Amino acid sequence: MNNPHHMNPRSLKSRFTTRFLRALTKIRAQKPISSSSPTEIFRRYRKIKVAADKSMAYSVRSRKTWSRAMLWKLRSRSHRRRPVKTKFRQSVMKNTKTTTTTGEDGVGFGVEASELRELVPGGEAMDLCNLLDETAHYIKCLTTQVQVMKKIADFYSL
Amino acid sequence: MLHTLESLESCNYDGMDMTVLERQAARLKWQQQYYVVQNNNPVPLSASSVPQSQGLIGSNLGSGQMVELKRPEVFLGTDDLQDFVNLPVSGPDFGESEKLDLVPPEAAADYCISRTFNCQMTTPNIAVMKEEREDVILEKIESTTGSGRVSFNKRKAEAVADHKSKDKRIRGEGESEVKTKCSTEISRNSSKENSKASEVQKPDYIHVRARRGQATDSHSLAERARRGKISNKMKCLQDLVPGCNKITGKAGMLDEIINYVQSLQRQVEFLSMKIAALNSSVELSVQNLPMKEFPAYVANFPAAAKLPEMAGLPCFQLNPLQKESVRFMLNESLHPPQTEGVARASVCITEQSLSSSSMTVIFPTSMIFNCSSSLTSCMMFSNALHLSNSYCSNCNHSQLGTWILKAFTTCTIWDFIKIVELNFVFYVNR
Repeated sequence: MNNPHHMNPRSLKSRFTTRFLRALTKIRAQKPISSSSPTEIFRRYRKIKVAADKSMAYSVRSRKTWSRAMLWKLRSRSHRRRPVKTKFRQSVMKNTKTTTTTGEDGVGFGVEASELRELVPGGEAMDLCNLLDETAHYIKCLTTQVQVMKKIADFYSL
Repeated sequence: MLHTLESLESCNYDGMDMTVLERQAARLKWQQQYYVVQNNNPVPLSASSVPQSQGLIGSNLGSGQMVELKRPEVFLGTDDLQDFVNLPVSGPDFGESEKLDLVPPEAAADYCISRTFNCQMTTPNIAVMKEEREDVILEKIESTTGSGRVSFNKRKAEAVADHKSKDKRIRGEGESEVKTKCSTEISRNSSKENSKASEVQKPDYIHVRARRGQATDSHSLAERARRGKISNKMKCLQDLVPGCNKITGKAGMLDEIINYVQSLQRQVEFLSMKIAALNSSVELSVQNLPMKEFPAYVANFPAAAKLPEMAGLPCFQLNPLQKESVRFMLNESLHPPQTEGVARASVCITEQSLSSSSMTVIFPTSMIFNCSSSLTSCMMFSNALHLSNSYCSNCNHSQLGTWILKAFTTCTIWDFIKIVELNFVFYVNR
């Protein structure tokens, strides 16, 4: 069978796709599709969104600060009722440079930089230099995510 | 320049045979000659001592220790250098620098250019380099440095930081000067290096030679380095984000980047919404669907009904309608930059599709999600809302209207769900 989507089995795209599809089949297997009420759709939407974020973060592993922060967030959400595992948190925080987040560069970046920090997961604890690096990688990952999900949605809609 | 070098040669430096005193005397004599040259020539001659400095590992200036000379592979073709293994090294120019460092091997390549030039001077120059009293040299050098010199100190400090060496080492400040002489490009690079290096804590004071017209403060130099890095990264980001070529200035660029990241995140949300909605209409038997079987699966899937045909369909066609509407909405919303075009197109479509009044609501919502902050979308939206209100005379459009407005202001998916729900209610009621 031709696989038009992936050229390199080890690329970010293919890793994300396999994980995401696995999660999708799990979600579909979980609940029988009896009703298509908006609440049902909404719940499923949230699950799919979380699955997409998770599979993307797992594809990147711990190589990037934003993926580490995202994984930590997802895990803390799933363990919300249990106490937060401090060990993982420490390992996440240790790897992020905890420099001051004020506009120390003094080049007038203050407002936009803080906005960007909110957008990129884990951006609060990064200085501007690293923040720009993480943003570039994050944008690249988001575009792959959007491409793959578009194709999956097209498959379903046909 | 060469004439001074010849004079050095005449000083009879055979290196090892001379005592320390003799060497120092010779050095001072060389210094005097050097100053003459300096005054006449903006480019200092001490550059000649550069090549040898490359080979020098280090010495404690002022402490009179003997240090080992490391012979640079490329540079010094003479065998005399081998004799200088135990020669304490220093250079008049080096007085400026408290800490000298071993030149990184890659920098050695830079000096290949100057190799031929310096070959003749190896012997005398090595002898010239000795340990000495820095203070004297410092004062003298300060007074005579020309504008063409680079901040050797900075470069050395940087190398120290790189190699984490705390010993005082001899470095060719002259090295950088050779660069200026031999190749302006290399000198520019070295000057950049030098100006970028940050200050290292040292017990003695450091004299910085920065580039022309720029502050010598270590903080400003570090700032400059950081700004350079940031501008490089902004350029990379400019390539990633589409439509950024025209925008100059960091603030505008950052705004574009923020908008792009937000639009990408929203797209992911919409697509997951779409997949959730489409999932509901997928048959249960298709649960375990590996990637390879997608084409086969797609062929078996029932074709979706066209939108115009749904006008008179009963409510059991809700799923395809929902799918269709979601697909329309998402197809429109997947191109965030073309907000105005989408808005106009959606208004035209709403005018045409009189029977499918649910679509008139879907399109405004797509506009909402596309451009939540643009004024044109507000106008378009109000237009479409008016149209939809005129069409949906039977339904509880007031409730619909309030929900639409709420979704417009808050832009949440939950509100969209409500709208879809209300649409279905309306459709069923028809």
